[in-house]
Amino acid sequence: MSRYLFVVPPFFGHISPTLSVGAALLSRGHEVMWAGLQGIASDRVPSGGTFVVLKSDPEELERILRRQDDGPSVGGAEVLKLALEETYIPLGRMMMRELPALAAHYQPDVIVNDCICFAGAFCAYLMGVRCVTTTPVPPDVMGSAMDMPRIREWQERLIRDLQRECGIYSDRVVIHSDLMNIVFTSKLFAGIAEPAGSLQFVGPVRGRPEEGDFDWKRLEESAGQRIFISLGTLLVDIRRAFFRKMVEAFRDQPVTIVAATDPAILEEWPENFIVQAYVPQARVLEKMDMVICHGGFNTVNDALLNELPILIIPIAYDHFHTASLIERAGCGISIRYKRLRIADVQRAADRLLEDKEYRQNAARVKESFRQSGGSVRAVELLEEVAGRPVEAAAGDEGDRRLVDDMLFGGNVGSNGGSIKQNQ
Amino acid sequence: MDAVMSNPKEEQIFLMLRKFIGEVIGEEFAEEMEIGPDSSFTRDLEMDSIEIVAFSEKVKKYFGQQVDFPGWLSGMDIDQLIALNIRDIIEYIDKCQS
Repeated sequence: MSRYLFVVPPFFGHISPTLSVGAALLSRGHEVMWAGLQGIASDRVPSGGTFVVLKSDPEELERILRRQDDGPSVGGAEVLKLALEETYIPLGRMMMRELPALAAHYQPDVIVNDCICFAGAFCAYLMGVRCVTTTPVPPDVMGSAMDMPRIREWQERLIRDLQRECGIYSDRVVIHSDLMNIVFTSKLFAGIAEPAGSLQFVGPVRGRPEEGDFDWKRLEESAGQRIFISLGTLLVDIRRAFFRKMVEAFRDQPVTIVAATDPAILEEWPENFIVQAYVPQARVLEKMDMVICHGGFNTVNDALLNELPILIIPIAYDHFHTASLIERAGCGISIRYKRLRIADVQRAADRLLEDKEYRQNAARVKESFRQSGGSVRAVELLEEVAGRPVEAAAGDEGDRRLVDDMLFGGNVGSNGGSIKQNQ
Repeated sequence: MDAVMSNPKEEQIFLMLRKFIGEVIGEEFAEEMEIGPDSSFTRDLEMDSIEIVAFSEKVKKYFGQQVDFPGWLSGMDIDQLIALNIRDIIEYIDKCQS
């Protein structure tokens, strides 16, 4: 049996797939620990696993988290700066205060670092432990920015500086595993026919604990077709404005809306809105006819797994890339939040509910997810890595590729990406 | 409307660019913004890369093949990209045409 240490950022969208994979590892008898900067609800941690909250600087952490809300109001290039300079680098630095000691004490066989948690890969490098990276969203979100030499230079400089600060004097960029990068979507949906060697597409993973009550009776008795609306867990500031628009669009429509948000953001909700802060999303979606979301990846995956058409309203970060993938797969319609007209939302919803083709295309994506293997495949891969001999990490001249396209496979990316970087 | 640029040729370019922006992002959204030479593409006009590409295609079609937008942009660093405004484009087009 092996010991796995997942290193995760304080963003739930990144944590949740690792909970599903971790639960599957635990059920196979392995030991699993998570290390993050912010705790999660204890009923979300798979039983038998441990979630360790690393020491942090609470004020700085709070500032970093709040800064994520500025994503929607800054442009594509500025978002890159926000992500790297103001999020990933300081989070990495903060985690390096305690993570090395924790890892040394726990002695993991494999460190599994989320793609924006550089500290996990740094510890693996310094300790000579096997490293696997997890990427929750489809790669290739860098779009045109990766074609720009001076942007690439800037990224590499920042990362090398952080590495030196952490005692890694290699010229290689070691923020990700060069052994294996597990991506939680399918090649078909990501639009990558022949992925680079270390990439493993396992599809979305399920099986993490999902608790929470829901008014099932009210839903059963509701009239018309049902639309689920979620903005995910980030993006607090624009929540009110967003849901006001949704109310305006659907208050007089013959549909029932399930809105996953704190009801207190609006004083009043129309009769046909069922509003609740935390919903058991996977189970609720089984009863839905359509999903409206900003492009948070867990919601997109859950929608596709239920063969539901998606109206995606991208707001910032990697949402634009996800929106383009959804449109290309023919399973939804994208309307940019900044250019949102109520009439367009209504028209799009009508089309998505009526035209069966969107559902059929969503079913095709779902099938590609199923074939990718999910957590069973992820566990197989992780067990396989644990069985490999540990190579001497230091001085490894292997893959000299520097900042790869997976860097911003996290909560950020350039807007859109019409000029595509091929994998 | 008062001229926003000091020389007539630049003024003409500005008006053309203003028109293209309206076409790309929707005239009703463009009207809500006070678009001037100092408007930056990402921050003020909130244009995403799909819109910027659509815009640059219109510019190329109108001002000619020598206006190589993607090539010009690819030489920029992050801060130049963030600050990119309409005046920069006017000057670039002007240079390409001279």
